[in-house]
Amino acid sequence: MNNVERFRRSGVLFPAFLLILTTIYLAEAVSIRSQFGGDTIVGPRFMPILMAFIMYAALLVVMVGEWRKDAEAPTGGSLLRPLLIVVATGIYIAAFRPLGYVPATLGFVVALFLIFDFERKRPVFFVLYAIAVTALFYGLFAGIFGVRLPPLLGGF
Amino acid sequence: METFVSFLGGFEALLSWEVLGFMIAGFLIGTFFGAMPGLTSVLAIALLLPITYTIDVVPALVMCASIFMAGMYSGSITATTINIPGAPSSMMTAVEGNALMLKGQGANALGHAALGSMIGGSIGAILLMAFMPIAGELALLIRTPGKFSLVLFALVVIILVDKGAIAKGIVATTLGIMLATVGIDVLQPIPRFEFGTELLVEGIGLMPVVIGAFAVSELLVQAQNWNLSLEGTLKRAKDLKIRRRDFIPPWSEIREVGFFTYIKSAFIGYAIGILPGAGGSMAAFVSYADAKRGSKKPEEYGNGSREGIAAAESANNSMCGGAFVPMLMFGIPGDPTTAIVLGVLVINGLQPGPRLIEQQADLIAPMFASLFVSALILVPLTLFLFGPYFIRIVSISRGLLYSAIAVVALVGSYVATYSIFQMYLALMFGVLAFFLRKHNYSVVAMLLGFILGPDLEQYLRRSLSFNDGNPIVFLTSLDSLAFLVLTVVFAYLILRKKPKLDAIP
Repeated sequence: MNNVERFRRSGVLFPAFLLILTTIYLAEAVSIRSQFGGDTIVGPRFMPILMAFIMYAALLVVMVGEWRKDAEAPTGGSLLRPLLIVVATGIYIAAFRPLGYVPATLGFVVALFLIFDFERKRPVFFVLYAIAVTALFYGLFAGIFGVRLPPLLGGF
Repeated sequence: METFVSFLGGFEALLSWEVLGFMIAGFLIGTFFGAMPGLTSVLAIALLLPITYTIDVVPALVMCASIFMAGMYSGSITATTINIPGAPSSMMTAVEGNALMLKGQGANALGHAALGSMIGGSIGAILLMAFMPIAGELALLIRTPGKFSLVLFALVVIILVDKGAIAKGIVATTLGIMLATVGIDVLQPIPRFEFGTELLVEGIGLMPVVIGAFAVSELLVQAQNWNLSLEGTLKRAKDLKIRRRDFIPPWSEIREVGFFTYIKSAFIGYAIGILPGAGGSMAAFVSYADAKRGSKKPEEYGNGSREGIAAAESANNSMCGGAFVPMLMFGIPGDPTTAIVLGVLVINGLQPGPRLIEQQADLIAPMFASLFVSALILVPLTLFLFGPYFIRIVSISRGLLYSAIAVVALVGSYVATYSIFQMYLALMFGVLAFFLRKHNYSVVAMLLGFILGPDLEQYLRRSLSFNDGNPIVFLTSLDSLAFLVLTVVFAYLILRKKPKLDAIP
């Protein structure tokens, strides 16, 4: 296995991603200014900088360990289904307020049923279950706990 | 003594219909989530966290306690019947319970598991009420440098518990602490890491982190490992015939197990519960190994040992009582469940510590009572009433279940602050936790780092500022030195001791 292939492993890429996040974090931490007492060792940027350096050291150990492994351990099935869930959830959140709880949740539940292969062969049950889940949690949140959920089309 | 008596007053609160209703509802939810493979009581509490914004603190805490106890017990149901532990703490019960199941004695195994849970859980709750006042006195002696060393001790133990991935444990814990630094500084009124947006000035709330880490990431993990074989197994198991009368273990078998086994296991479980990061799995494992070592019939282990079931179940339920001690006394949760309960306290403006026990025992006592009543009454009652239908109940389609969980998680993260941004944060932390779990980083370590981070920073900076930045204060302060020595001792013990693989048949 060559070095490029080793680097492409998700076991190495993930800590590399965290490394980038830590660098952004550290850059921001350095710019923090104390409100009083000057920038002493125990000022507001002390802990973030300390944590960033601990993170760098730990990530280095993890990356070296992952790099040295001959083969990557299998990490489950395809990422397609989780990706579809993330996309469906993102759309749900974006539509939650503009569309209102009922249409947005109904659409979200339909999408999840399709992703999880639930009752696809029985369309009547599919629809009934989707309506039931939407209604059940509307009843729970709005009915029992008195939560104000977004109204249909933002109130129109 | 006075405090202990006030704890007993907690039972009175359970007589209120509202509180009683939340306790029973929590227990049933916890039983379902604990029994269902892939779901845990932590997920149940995480999903119910937003609801605690809308109800009083007493029913919220009572419900959390009953979910905790139920989740610890109900993992034994699918562990015994289909050899799939509903919760990790039921691994040992799966070994022995399923062996009995295969001999046609599944109901008897479930009965012994319930009896062990009932005795262990009750003893754990009594120990919690009895030792809490003493723990409170001890907590008053700890000063700021000592508090820092105590939080450090907790974090170090949490990292070291997973011996195989210490560097990853450090990464996860540090990531949690880094996330906790977003928002207003702990000592000065200046915002940090707000990246020019007002949305981050107040920091990141516990809710999106908990829902993301435990609910959204679970959905993504289940979606990735999606197969219908488990559903098939559960459907086949639906045909199992379990009779109520077989749940009651014969007196001769109970005597054979011996009350000493139950009591000793309960004490082991309670002590392990106090340790940060240990949890029900370790309690069950240590107690099971100890019972096997001292057993008159060690050859039964692996072939359906009732003693093994009793030891494991007694310990993991007793652990629930122990886990509350460091959280309530020092604000240091040792596991995700007590971490979320800490969140419930903070949401309701309660600060953990000795003063909480002294001045607001009336709010905390019903939670202790709930632990006790859940173990002593609800465990056997639930088994008797619903035992024959457990498998049918947990055979619900997982597609439907996970879709419902997704809606509760997302809407739940909205209802607390009516903020769409919180929903996005929950999704973001869910994706982050998914990748952490996929690469064997501990999400629990991240959560505990997030919760303990502000305390760690505050005590560290306070201690250093009072001593001109000189860290020697952590060695000259006796309480601090004691915790640092304890950290070194624990690190040595954890890292030195090899796991006893022969304990598992």
